This record gives sequence, C-alpha cells and structure tokens, in this order.
Amino acid sequence: MKILLIEDDREMAADIVLTLRANGHEVETSGDGCDGMARARTGAHAALIVDRMLPELDGLSLVRELRADGIRTPILFLTTMSGIDDRVEGLESGADDYLTKPFAAPELLARLGAITRRADAHAEATLLKAAELEMDLIRRTVSRQGRPATLQAQEFRLLEYMMRNADRPVTRAMLLEHVWDLHFDPRTNIVETHMSRLRAKLDCGLGGEVIRTIRGSGYILRAH
Amino acid sequence: MRIRILHTESFRLAAIYTAVFALCIGVIGASVLAVTEKALRDQIVQYSSADTTAIRDSYAKQGVHEAVEVTQQRLAAVRHTDFLLLQQNGRVLAGNLDARDERVGVIEIPSPVRHGHVILGVGSRPGPGLYAFSGTDLAFVAAVRARILGRLIWLFAGALLLAALSGLLVSRSFVARMDAIARTCRAIMAGNLRDRIPARGDQNELDRLAATINAMLDRIAALMENLRQVSSDVAHDLRTPLTHLRQRLERARSESHSPEEYAAALDGAIGAADEMLSLFSALLRIAQIEGGARRGGFAPVDLAALLKKLREVYGAVAEDAGHRLVVTDAPPCLVPGDAELLFQLLANLVENAIVHTPAGTRIAVTLRPGTDQTVLVVQDDGPGIPAAARDKVFRRFYRLDASRSTPGHGLGLALVAAVAELHGGAVAVAPALPSGQGLAVTLVLPLSP
Repeated sequence: MKILLIEDDREMAADIVLTLRANGHEVETSGDGCDGMARARTGAHAALIVDRMLPELDGLSLVRELRADGIRTPILFLTTMSGIDDRVEGLESGADDYLTKPFAAPELLARLGAITRRADAHAEATLLKAAELEMDLIRRTVSRQGRPATLQAQEFRLLEYMMRNADRPVTRAMLLEHVWDLHFDPRTNIVETHMSRLRAKLDCGLGGEVIRTIRGSGYILRAH
Repeated sequence: MRIRILHTESFRLAAIYTAVFALCIGVIGASVLAVTEKALRDQIVQYSSADTTAIRDSYAKQGVHEAVEVTQQRLAAVRHTDFLLLQQNGRVLAGNLDARDERVGVIEIPSPVRHGHVILGVGSRPGPGLYAFSGTDLAFVAAVRARILGRLIWLFAGALLLAALSGLLVSRSFVARMDAIARTCRAIMAGNLRDRIPARGDQNELDRLAATINAMLDRIAALMENLRQVSSDVAHDLRTPLTHLRQRLERARSESHSPEEYAAALDGAIGAADEMLSLFSALLRIAQIEGGARRGGFAPVDLAALLKKLREVYGAVAEDAGHRLVVTDAPPCLVPGDAELLFQLLANLVENAIVHTPAGTRIAVTLRPGTDQTVLVVQDDGPGIPAAARDKVFRRFYRLDASRSTPGHGLGLALVAAVAELHGGAVAVAPALPSGQGLAVTLVLPLSP
C-alpha cells in the first residue's frame, strides 16, 4: 500500500516509516499541514496517517478540509495521550480511527489494516463467512462446519469483529474500543476472558484453533 | 485621596444626583415665584376695582360731590404705595396723582413719586366726563419676590452642599471597600495566598462580591494545593518505576549473554516504560476530568443501561477470578453526564473489587433512583479498608499497605472522585457490613445539572 504520513516530529516519523517499509508498504512523508494537504488531495494514497499537532495547518482542520473536498482516503489520526477529547474530535472531523502516542508497531499496522479493509468492504453483508465459520447477522446465529454455537451478545459482537477483520491481526485495544466501546486501559483481563469463552463455544467438539493468539500484539482469525 | 474620589463611579453618580436635585429645586422655585407674583397682582387689581366701583356707586347715588367725598375717604386710608385719582374733563377733583389720559381697564402707569417705578391699577369712568383710577406701586411685589428668591437661593445652596457632602461620604466608603479588595488581591499576588477580603456582613452587593471573590480564591488555593501535591506525588511515584527500569537495563548489560537474554531484558524494560506511560495517561486523564472541559458534552445517560453493560463486560471477568458479580436490574434512570466516564467510574470500582478481594467475594452493584438524585452503590464482602484510610483512598497515588504488592498506581479511586465531582456528585466509602467488614462505595449523582 502507498501511505502518506503527515507528521512533524522527525523521530516519530522515521520510526513509523521504518515500521511501514518493513511490512512492505510504500511511504511518502510530509512535515507540515499545508504540504500534507496538497499531497493528500491527489488521492493517490491507500491511507493517510495524520498527526493532531502540525505546523501551518493542524491535523483536525486538515482532515476536515479533505473530507469537505470529497477525498475519501482512509485516515488514521495520531493523538497525544493528553487529549481525551482528541479522539472524539478526530473521529468527528472525518478520520476513520485514531491512535494514541506512543504506540507499538503491531498496533499501528493492525489499525491501518482495519481502516483500509473497511474502505473496500462497502457492501453491508448479512452473512459473514470465514474459515469454517458462518455468521448470520440477521438471525444472529453462528455455526462452525454447520454445527451451531450459542453465543452471548458480547461474544457475538467479538466474533463479528474478528470475522470482519479476518486475516488481519486485531489488537487488544482495538477489541476494547470497537467491541466494548471502552476507551481506557482496564486492569482486568476483559478481552482474554471473553476470548477464551468464545473459543470454548466455537470448539463445537471439532478441536483446532479458530482464533489464534499473536504473542504480544493480539489475535487473528484466518479466513482459510 | 481627594482627587481619586473625583474619579470614582460613585462620585460621578452622586454628582449627577446633585445636579438633578438642583434642577428640581430651580424649577420649583421658579414656579413659586411665578405663582406668587400672579397672586399679588391679582390682589392689587381686586383692591383697585373695589375703589373704582365704590366711587362709581357713590356717583350714581348722590352725584359728583359724593364721589369726591368717597375718593378722599379712601385716599386717607391709603399707604404710601397706593394711588387714587378722580378727575372731571381733565381737571383733578381728588387724589394724589396729576391729571392724566383716561385709559380704562387694568393698566400700568409710571410712578410720579419714584423714578422707574410702575403702578398697577384699574381705570374706569364712573359717569359722564368723570375718570377714576386706583392702583398700587409694584415695588411691593418686587420686594416679596426678592425675599422669596433670597430664601430659595439659600435653600438651593444648602441642598447642593448636602448632596455633594453625602455623595462624597458614600464614595469614600465605597472607595475604601474597593481599596480593601484591591489590597487583598495585591497581597495574594505578592504570595500571601491565605489572605481573604474582609466581609462586613451587611449582605449588600459589595459583601456579595467579596464573598464571590473569596470563594474563587478558595477554589484557586485548592487547585494550587492539588497541583503542588500532584507534582510532588508524580516526582515521587515515578522514581520507583524509573529505578526498576534502570536496574533492568543495568542487569541486562552485565548479565545478558545470548540474544534471547537481551530480548527478555528489553521486553522487561519496555514493560516498565509502558507502565510509566500508563501512569502518565491516567494522571492526565484525571487532570482533564478535573479541568471540567468534558461538561460541555454532557447528555442524558441511562445508568440502568450502563449497569447492564457492566454486567455483560465484567460478569465473566469476575467469574474467572473466582468472584461473583451481582448487578441488580433497574428501571431506566437518566442523569446528565458523560457515559464514557461514568462507565469508567463503575469499571474502576468493580475492577478494584475484583483485584483487591480474595476469591469467593460477592460484588454487588445496585442503583437506587430518587426524585432529585440517584444513588449507586458498589459493595463487596471482602476485607474492606481500615477506618483511618477511608478519607485518603480518593487521593492520587494513595495505596493501602495491603495492596502494595498488586500492580496499580493508586489512581483508580482518584479518577472515580474526579468523575463524581465533574457530575456534581459525591462519592464516599464505608464498611459494607455491620461487622465493619466489606467495602461499600456510594456514589450520589444529581438528576439535574
């Protein structure tokens, strides 16, 4: 993917560029809001990574203007940890997801993967299929190899998110935010607990791992 | 001082009032003068008419001789300012005036006695060839007017002086109180933060202003104290993880030999750094909540729905930790607030109970809606906290000795307190059971902002 990174902190930018290149992405960088805006307007990028604080034109205004101009490129918003309102403002301005600095490389890659996938999966499917799993979003049923699994509401939402992001790593923070709408770091194992229950229910007497744990970064559901 | 008073708002007002007052006195005085003069002239005309009428009557009854008689009688009774005249065919028959042209009605004629004086009177024709005139020197009216004017001027001057003096006194006391406020503010700026504006207790607007400023100063002082406390706490509490980090790095350099060992040491160091970062996040979050900016985004929040979510999220977590989470169902209960923060408040309380109590503990969350406030209770039947610690648990970084071994920063309840305060509510801890065991955290939230 060709990604445009608009970030004025050189060290942070260099770090992100290394991470993205190491994972096979092509990266273009810009150090200020106006220049970044001009580059983003070409619409030639698969995704934008935009910092909140930028010289010339701040990140929020930049995203707002791009959206007003009809540029639909997925945007990942970077905020500092001091701003709890930054998330809301960032998403309201038109960004697709946000990430609080500092962050781990897998988190950045996972979020980027999720927003670019979301952009091409426009059609709202009512039936999700991944691996041996089938999920009917209307009847709220799940089956594995045709064997039904009875899930609680939370587990259903968790599996739905995993299936929508099949073949892409999903981090703990992403699950907390998107499945439970929790925007703080809990001290208990919310994700692990619900994940282990979900796995147990998806076993269906068939054995084998449907959702795999990626050490240190999260989970992945393989589509095949 | 004298000059300063001239520039005060209250003096300006006093001056305006004085001017208006003076204008009123002027208008009243002028009216009094006009009315008095009119009344005196009317009286002169009335007396004069009575004279000429009497002369005419006597002439009608008994002829010219009787008219001359009556004129002379009347003339004997006049004061030196009164004038009478009876003439026939231009010849004076009686009176103290020379013969004159025969104008009739109310007329004014120059005084023959005093130069420049005017006589007001009535001329008439009692009979053929006869002319009678009776009048009074207007100097008498002028004298009365001058007396009244004199009085009025004194009155005017006195009132003006009184108004100016009282204005000055009022400004003086106003300026003195303003000076007291300014003095206090300067003292505070100079560093004496405990200084407050003295209140007189008379409940006027200045007293209320002083009370408001004092309340503001109290709030600022509390915030400053808080800030001071936090900075020293942060400095103190950051030393521990930094020391750990340093130790890990030092050990890694001296003891690691294989790439695996280095990787493990680095993982440990990253973990320690992450812990510090999460401490900073928690602190900043609390600071932002205390700043109150989130209040702008308040919307009706259904506490019952939050409780339902709490059960869905934490039921399984509590169960896995060997606890039992009992969240009682409640009818919808709307409070103005921030749903995200209120949920974090509940989550912190439940997580505290899960982390700090032994397995087998029952954690109960109940909602008691009221008419003007809602009470939320999160309680457990665990060991509880010592009475001496109850006031301190909401402070930042405060940790019970018993919980020092469990991970955490001692910021969970500080956040709870900050969220409660943001919502205009109050939070308190107490033993859950009569035996003094267990912990009940009670949150009282107002139903209107």
